[in-house]
Amino acid sequence: MTEQKRARLKADKLDTGFGSFRNIEVTIGKVIDDDWDEPMGPTPMPDVTTLRSWDHKLLTRYRPAYMPACQLCCLCTFGKCDLTSGKRGACGLDIEGQSARIVLAAANIGCAAHLAHSRHMVDYMIHEFGPRFELSQGDGVEIEAPVSRLVTGIRPRTLEDASAILDYCETQLTHTLSAVATGQEGSWIDFESKAFHVGMIDQVGMEIADLAQISTLGFPQSDPDAPLIEAGISSMDPKKAMILAIGHNVVPATYIMDYASETGVSDNIDIAGICCTAWDISRYDAKTKIVGPISWQLRFVRAGFADVVVVDEQCIRTDILEHAKKVNSPVIATCDKSTMGLPDRTDDDVDDIVKDLVSGKTPGVYIRDHEKIGEVVVKTAIKMHPKRKKKGSLPSKAKMQELAQACRQCSECVRSCPNDQPVMDAVLAAAEGNFEPLADVYDECIGCARCESACPNEYDLHSWMVKAAEGRWKQESFMVRSGRGAIKDTEIRTVGQPIVFGEIPGVIAHVGCANYPDGGRAIHDHAEEFAKRRFIVVFSGCAAMTVGAIKDEEGKSIYERRPGTFDAGSVLNVGSCVANSHIAGAAIKIANIFAKRNLRGNYEEIADYIHNRVGAVGISWGAMSQKAASIAAGFWRLGVPVIVGPHGTKYRRMLLGRADKPEDWMVWDARTGDRVQVAAGPEHLFYAVENLEELMVMTAKLAIRPNDTAKGRAIKLSHYIDLHETYKGYFPDDVHTYIRRETDIPITIKDKIKAQMKENKWQEKPIPDPTLVRRLVYGGNGGGK
Amino acid sequence: MMREEPWQTAEVCGPTKAQGIKKPAVVGALLKKAKHPLLVVGSQALTENTGKKSMIDYFIEFSTAAKIPIVATANTITAFKEKGFDNAYSYGAMEITGRLQDHDWMVASKKGPHDLVMTYGFPYYMEWLMLSALINFSPHIKTVSLGRYYQPHATWSFPNLKKQNWNDALKEILTLSGGSK
Ligand code: SF4
Ligand code: SF4
Ligand code: SF4
Repeated sequence: MTEQKRARLKADKLDTGFGSFRNIEVTIGKVIDDDWDEPMGPTPMPDVTTLRSWDHKLLTRYRPAYMPACQLCCLCTFGKCDLTSGKRGACGLDIEGQSARIVLAAANIGCAAHLAHSRHMVDYMIHEFGPRFELSQGDGVEIEAPVSRLVTGIRPRTLEDASAILDYCETQLTHTLSAVATGQEGSWIDFESKAFHVGMIDQVGMEIADLAQISTLGFPQSDPDAPLIEAGISSMDPKKAMILAIGHNVVPATYIMDYASETGVSDNIDIAGICCTAWDISRYDAKTKIVGPISWQLRFVRAGFADVVVVDEQCIRTDILEHAKKVNSPVIATCDKSTMGLPDRTDDDVDDIVKDLVSGKTPGVYIRDHEKIGEVVVKTAIKMHPKRKKKGSLPSKAKMQELAQACRQCSECVRSCPNDQPVMDAVLAAAEGNFEPLADVYDECIGCARCESACPNEYDLHSWMVKAAEGRWKQESFMVRSGRGAIKDTEIRTVGQPIVFGEIPGVIAHVGCANYPDGGRAIHDHAEEFAKRRFIVVFSGCAAMTVGAIKDEEGKSIYERRPGTFDAGSVLNVGSCVANSHIAGAAIKIANIFAKRNLRGNYEEIADYIHNRVGAVGISWGAMSQKAASIAAGFWRLGVPVIVGPHGTKYRRMLLGRADKPEDWMVWDARTGDRVQVAAGPEHLFYAVENLEELMVMTAKLAIRPNDTAKGRAIKLSHYIDLHETYKGYFPDDVHTYIRRETDIPITIKDKIKAQMKENKWQEKPIPDPTLVRRLVYGGNGGGK
Repeated sequence: MMREEPWQTAEVCGPTKAQGIKKPAVVGALLKKAKHPLLVVGSQALTENTGKKSMIDYFIEFSTAAKIPIVATANTITAFKEKGFDNAYSYGAMEITGRLQDHDWMVASKKGPHDLVMTYGFPYYMEWLMLSALINFSPHIKTVSLGRYYQPHATWSFPNLKKQNWNDALKEILTLSGGSK
């Protein structure tokens, strides 16, 4: 475990927007890099309220619109309280406050999951490699941890620095979590501000986790040509013993891979992953395989492929043991967060454990020792492989047809399906021997198995779909690019200016989970559409797998068709969920490298820069988890808009701008200190779309920024107009609001726009050097008109 | 099935729940009373029908007869534009849900607020949340869910109806609003 040291940040004099301070010292817990000459900004290691005024600026423009999922609160014994339509609970909280509190609770949970993962990673690495092990993102990356530098003022050079940064994060999380307790925070805007804060902390924690694993485990280091990996169910070799790793924390799996290679059995086993562990094992060893996103757990386990199932942490089906038992797949739990009720066999002899697993005496074990995990898993897989005669729990079609005839037509399956799939009709068709409708349900199914839990006949409905679609998934094989890690400084140097000027119209960040409303095809079609339009399209997490599953006529996936560089028209994968911090990192580096703004402890200025200038849009089409909520919160605080798919409405609050209220869109012109009205860009900060068509239009619109140059604005508008005409069927009626000078008009559609301008009595508007922060006006505190 | 219970299981709400529309005359009475009604139509209207009529045609007739503007969300607007119908306005589902919480706001820049909002055509869970926003933050608005399935957060909703019964109910509402059968 780590050795705790004390260290402090020192500055003799600090001039900040909040005042001038002398003899600042921040004591934080560990050693700090002393030879970094970048001056310290105003807010190193901000506490919960340091950046509150920045949050309030954003939250005033983008007011939360709450959609409570429940009008009751039952969090304490004062309640239950009915908060409907303005009633207050016994503690005084109203429904707005309660709704905001739920937002904060979700962000806290998400941050905690990432941060605990990060802490485990760093402590483990220190244990293995020592506290002085140097951190690196590879050649071409001087700014190795932009988010951490920005937030904490620390440049993490070693694992020990990383640990110090996590100390800070853990303190902040404790505070934001405490604010949820009964009788603490009461105001919606301050709950929201704290959610932004913990989202920012989450970004730091994720960055540290990925930096630690990239530095120590030989992952690709900012490599645009990270290897292509085989993915899809049919990429597994049935002749080999199959080890399935599920979760997010790669460490236990590295021991499995190492043990297999040290004992010379690598060629006899297939190691495959689901969810983020899949990405990280592929970053460790490109010969591993990727099954698919989180929602494919059940279908893969039930189909009986896995000779051993290894679970680490996060996104694991909590009933995985039950499903694995049915197909004789032993389960090895490796992480203290998800021990699955299994006996702790850490101190037992390896061969005894293997014997018990192979004989079925125990369906699974929990082991804390990584070395032992490696050995037990490999030995068990090899022994189980020939033994597992009853592979798979899928029923035969004849059996399904027979059972289906007793369907009660009660609709319970349909009513429990989050995607409203026509399960009952499909079952009735199966009763007639037609299995195509069931196979079609498989295509849009997220694998939750709620339908079968609800069925009074206890049909294994998900298995039925998987069986019906066997012909489809047996063909499922595609290539995805492994996670490249961070964006190089050199890449930022090339694209920084065109992004800030708007000539590269935007950076699209597809993030996370697989709670898709309609299968995952939409992600691919969206990525292709925007890459074609010369946006930079970045992926991480499960979405990065799904986008690869659609192939062109030549059988190529998007990763094979498009380069992995951070450049116009590229489609790149940064890696697992924790790697999505590199996307925020890239935006931050643009402000630093291209605009030469100091990063160090300078959050507000950089967020203001990004919000006004970098046309980045985060998208999570299948957002599901609290982690997705905290990731989104991190983007919100940076002023980056986030769009979620329709299931994202269940986050229960949007952050909506009002384009029809000019007074909401005032900025300071940093050059003159004048107050200037700009167009509504980005119009919203958090938005759930109804379908792909709305996503297409909204993405293009949210890439608009006040700072776009004339050329950049014209390019962005032409994409917005074109997509609007394609998907909404008419010329958008708000184009004139985005024209500041005639030079902003896209030349090919000049006449239509001019007509609209005339109709709306358009007048020329100034193009400011925009900022929401008055102290950032050159030469002092604004003071202009 | 005529039970007033959420169609998607688990989508139960708080202490208040929508009154079931047992007779379409209820909607007729609400329409008569409303000063500024609004129809909010989602993308399922593009693929669904009532009897032989597409939902788009139904809403065009309804809107024309009762003189109610339509907000068409996502790409639903395309169908209204294609048919040359000009009393439909484009907002996102989340945008309109937000706007309706502004007690001064009305579609087409008129003086607000709307006092009756009728919804149709969204994924069940999405409409459920949109109506939750309105029940909590727009108490001046009465809401009617026009879909087949019970939406507990509306002021008035059909109970879970068989398709034929729902078709008949929509037909009657159209008649009551002055439209054809
Ligand atoms: S936390 Fe407040 S609103 Fe919730 S149950 Fe307790 S008293 Fe009621
Ligand atoms: S398993 Fe698939 S079909 Fe069944 S309820 Fe879940 S999403 Fe619907
Ligand atoms: S829940 Fe089961 S019995 Fe009821 S309709 Fe669905 S398949 Fe048939």
